[in-house]
Amino acid sequence: MENAGYMLAAFIVIWTALLGYIFVLSRRQARIQRDIQLLQETLGRQD
Amino acid sequence: MKRKVLFFISAGLLLLSFYMVLVFVPTERDMGIVQRIFYYHVPLAWIAFLAFFVVFFASIGYLIKRRPLWDHIACASAEIGLVFISLMLVTGMIWAKAAWGVWWIWEPRLTTSLVLWFIYVAYFIVRAYVVEEERKVRFGAVVGIIGFLNVPLVFLSVTLWRTQHPPLTIFTDGLAGSMMATLLVCLFAFNFFYFYLLAEGTLMKADERAVRQLKEKSMRRNP
Amino acid sequence: MREISKAFIIAAKDLLTEIRTREVISSVVVFAVLVIVIFNFAFGSNPQAASLVAPGIIWVTFAFAGILSLNRSFVLEKEEDCIEGLMAAPISRESIYLGKFLGNLFFILLIQAIVIPVFSLLFNVGFFNIELVLVTILASVGFASVGTLFAAMAVSTRARELVLPVLFFPVITPVIIAAVNASAVILEGGVLSAITQWLGIISAFDVIFLVASYLIFCFIIEE
Repeated sequence: MENAGYMLAAFIVIWTALLGYIFVLSRRQARIQRDIQLLQETLGRQD
Repeated sequence: MKRKVLFFISAGLLLLSFYMVLVFVPTERDMGIVQRIFYYHVPLAWIAFLAFFVVFFASIGYLIKRRPLWDHIACASAEIGLVFISLMLVTGMIWAKAAWGVWWIWEPRLTTSLVLWFIYVAYFIVRAYVVEEERKVRFGAVVGIIGFLNVPLVFLSVTLWRTQHPPLTIFTDGLAGSMMATLLVCLFAFNFFYFYLLAEGTLMKADERAVRQLKEKSMRRNP
Repeated sequence: MREISKAFIIAAKDLLTEIRTREVISSVVVFAVLVIVIFNFAFGSNPQAASLVAPGIIWVTFAFAGILSLNRSFVLEKEEDCIEGLMAAPISRESIYLGKFLGNLFFILLIQAIVIPVFSLLFNVGFFNIELVLVTILASVGFASVGTLFAAMAVSTRARELVLPVLFFPVITPVIIAAVNASAVILEGGVLSAITQWLGIISAFDVIFLVASYLIFCFIIEE
């Protein structure tokens, strides 16, 4: 069972990276939605 | 709606791959348990190259048609490609350390991926340092096209270079049935996952553009 | 054919500017010699090491010197808004590319012609075979082909000194690998037939990227 540490490391890296990327994307998405809502309100008030 | 479908298929296949790589597939004789990295390392490489081909294709599409959607696809795909190729490099390094005791080897596929990594980092650097939006997109498209054209030549030159040294095969040829099945499941899993990320990314870039346009509109009304 | 003569006119204009100011040649030559001297401090104490790394040193030096020279090729155009003038003239974008390419190629070859004797002197390595001249010319064509395209891009960004190297070095990798290896073979006494594969790679690079840059250049300087 030698090198099991490397195996584990690779797994952790892969899944952390992929899940992390999804997390970053969802944060970005939330910010965009907030911005759109804010801007639409502002434009609505300006009309 | 279609995105949700993609997400669930990807998630399902990824979980299946988890099981197959960790439990189902038998341990390879020569390399031991570390060899299992192979089932992720190879699909990561394939999908990264698919992603960069999409960047190439979408970049050409933008330069010809000039519709923003092409750029959204290109930019999103470049981002995903960069993530996947980075992972491919890291898993390759872990494998190299486990198999040969060194963190890096100048193997053709690994070296080509390293150069490719730099090219797609350049893609984002160029876009970051151009002020005008339209020019940024145009320049990015040029990098996306030239960068992809470069790949076969890099691979060829590195392969020729390394034939003078003892060959280091990362990938074992001749896979048993269960190994091939595991590899294919991982490949399909990442493939669906890529298309899901591409869909999400493209729509997000489109939304970002909408935000920019709304901001401009608001600033024009309120100078 | 008239387009080619227009390209020559543009190249001649760059040449005349340089003859009058001599700023590019002098600074790049000084830079190149400095790089070689510094490398000599790194390797010079060991004569065997020097001959082993000589090909690598000379091509790294040419890559860095090439960046300097390419950078300058569009700076004047940008500062004086010559690009708009060029585009208003009855000359196709492709001819502008060809003209700038020829000018850059000429300067790179001129710098190499000056630097190589200095290098041979300092490193006691003879660089005067016809095969090496062939390698150098072919590689320089490769440098100038993508270099002209990237320099035109970089000059329109906010960080041109960063963008040009970041784009240039990864893409030029096949040329560097091929040139270094071919030079090494020739310096050890090889003949032309021994380096045909390397020459093939450089030639393929030249053809592919000359054509690609020629076609894509118009997308860089459109306004």
